[in-house]
Amino acid sequence: MDFEMDRFMIALLDRSPPHALEHLQLVLIPVVVAFIIAFTAAVLLTRERYVKYTDRVMTVFNIGQTIPPLAVIAVFFPFLGLGREPALFALTIYALLPIARNTLAGLKGVPGDVKDAARGMGMTEWEMLFKVEIPLSMPVVMAGIKISVVLTSGTAALGALVGGGGMGAVIFAGIDFFRAELIVAGTLIIGVIAITLDRLLTLIDDMLTPPHMKA
Amino acid sequence: MTPLSLALALFWFSNFYDEYLGFIQFIIRRWDRVIEYTFNHFSLVLTVMFFSLILWISVGLIISRYEKLASTAFGIGNILFVIPSISLFGIFITIPMLGLGRTSAALALILYAMMPMIRNVYRGIKSVEWPILDAARGMGMSAKQILFQIQIPIAWPIIFAGIRVTVVMITGIATVATFIGERNLGRFIHHGIARESADMIIAGAVIVSVIAILLDFVLGKIEYKITSPGLRRV
Amino acid sequence: MIVLDKVDKVFPGSTIPAVNQISFQIDEGNICVFVGPSGCGKTTILRMINRLVEPTGGEIYIKGKKVSDKEVNPDELRREIGYVIQQIGLMPHRTVEQNVALVPRLLKWPEEKISLRVKELLETVGLDAEEVSRKYPYQLSGGMMQRVGVARALAADPPIMLMDEPFGAVDPIVRGRLQDEFLRLQKALKKTICFVTHDINEAIKMGDHIVIMNKGELVQHGTPMEILCNPANYFVKDLIGTDREIKLLELTKSEELVTRTKNIPEQIIEKDSFILAIDPVQRALEIMMKKNSDLVGVRDGAEMIGTISWEDIKKHINMISGDN
Repeated sequence: MDFEMDRFMIALLDRSPPHALEHLQLVLIPVVVAFIIAFTAAVLLTRERYVKYTDRVMTVFNIGQTIPPLAVIAVFFPFLGLGREPALFALTIYALLPIARNTLAGLKGVPGDVKDAARGMGMTEWEMLFKVEIPLSMPVVMAGIKISVVLTSGTAALGALVGGGGMGAVIFAGIDFFRAELIVAGTLIIGVIAITLDRLLTLIDDMLTPPHMKA
Repeated sequence: MTPLSLALALFWFSNFYDEYLGFIQFIIRRWDRVIEYTFNHFSLVLTVMFFSLILWISVGLIISRYEKLASTAFGIGNILFVIPSISLFGIFITIPMLGLGRTSAALALILYAMMPMIRNVYRGIKSVEWPILDAARGMGMSAKQILFQIQIPIAWPIIFAGIRVTVVMITGIATVATFIGERNLGRFIHHGIARESADMIIAGAVIVSVIAILLDFVLGKIEYKITSPGLRRV
Repeated sequence: MIVLDKVDKVFPGSTIPAVNQISFQIDEGNICVFVGPSGCGKTTILRMINRLVEPTGGEIYIKGKKVSDKEVNPDELRREIGYVIQQIGLMPHRTVEQNVALVPRLLKWPEEKISLRVKELLETVGLDAEEVSRKYPYQLSGGMMQRVGVARALAADPPIMLMDEPFGAVDPIVRGRLQDEFLRLQKALKKTICFVTHDINEAIKMGDHIVIMNKGELVQHGTPMEILCNPANYFVKDLIGTDREIKLLELTKSEELVTRTKNIPEQIIEKDSFILAIDPVQRALEIMMKKNSDLVGVRDGAEMIGTISWEDIKKHINMISGDN
């Protein structure tokens, strides 16, 4: 490989930082928005009135996950045009599925007898949701968020295609000019972002998971 | 339905068709390209799967026997998974021997296949419960017989599920290989963006998605078929 | 038939032997039961006989042949020893028929012979071959699975059977029935059987010979009667005593068990083996031991009212142990 250390350092230290910040936004904003949407939807879907639809929705989510990331990123471009917002929108859709799937699975997985016991002790629907269902499903929900973060930080590299900026801009430049230094630098930063966010989420997970459910 | 509302509906639909369903016309018009790209797409996926099955199933079997190697293998797999697909393709083309083209694309995709494949082989083999192995040994089955008659058949549904996930994933990610010169279905999206042609982009996205969904569905059916009824507990 | 000569086993990473200098022999056609608390080494002994565990010292002989001989292929050795474990370990991806036919197929029997054998065996263990042979293990009840497990172990007609808590996973009522059926089967089959259990009642019921173990040591061995009458030490006393049923032998009056009859067999009168109707059943056992017979006469005052047999006592132990 034609690899020059000087060029690599320039790529990593001069060229990448502004893109790194953009990239972080391309990951964080979609994941947070997706989490809010997916979580609300999953909570609603597991309420008694709608619970009969959960299996069907789950199937739709599972099918959705098979759609290739490039297709998701590209398909909104004709309607929304170039730019940061369209990229954010597409990435949000992409980040949505793993979170929604896991949240739904987590809430559905709360054992019926635990809910019965909670109801038997006179908890209201709200109390049950916040004191029983959400805490107990936390590990599965967090796992979904982690998957989403890792997938989104990789896919966000494609965001550059639709004018979203981010590390993808550096990587695509590397591909266009056959410059391994640019590709490696870009990849390294994406890796650092993904792993840092994953570690942070693990920390949060440790704080939120009820002690008895820790391995 | 009154004639007026029918006319309105037709008008609305023709508008809708012009604006959003233009990609259908595109597909019909460029049918030769669709065939060519689809063929290229599948020949890449098949090549990748051929090598992945041989390589990663073997690795999966090895790490399920030698526990110490398992954590190393999963560590490598996890790192590979964090690398964006576009970077992996990009890194391979800058290696002089490889350059632009099929070898780079195939190698990158084979690396991507590692994690889902070895994870499922490992999980499948580990799902065989201890008493089953003990009984098999106690009845005088050799290690080879246990592997081929007990462990692999019991693990097979889980291994196949891994193959299914991998095939669908590889089909999806292969689109990105268009940026390193593959002439496959990703090219519609790639060129569509460059030419700002909505029809082209949507055509590419829809074809690829439909293929991925169909593949998942068909492989799911096969998965069910080949699972021993004794393992199909609902 | 099976001889253990100063057999030792120290597992890697441990300094305490799991089995320590065990020697004894199991006669052909007998059921030998190993009993003791968990971790006493009973399962290890069983697994050393078919070399699932290799001893670290001593020798094991089957029919005078060294098991550990270099010429013995452990896989081939195991195909000639039936093996039943508590968790059964039926192959979940195979039908009942395929499970039972496993060893015959390993031995490459002709298919017609196998299918006849499977049918015959399923009937022998009390299953409807027509009904179950195409089923998968998950479709069976616990008791049926145990039966299939036994049928599978018997498939190639091995002269020796190793059974590790074979009826441990089913409820007491089913367990009792399976034990009875197995004893009936054994009368016809005359296998040499090593049987492991932690349940002293099961040991007394099933065993021709009982080996009591603790912490890898052999504490006592002998016939059930010998062990009930002459517990070697406090450990054995405790083992039989903690079980309410057996203690009850001291509280049950002989009159409750007596088979009333006017015809007292000659041997009883000859040996003068009599007890009183108000004596505890324990006393009957002691007399049986002393006079070396399995039948005692029962007197009410001067009048001879009937007899009690070893079988009666075993049945009684079983009956009360089935109650809890």
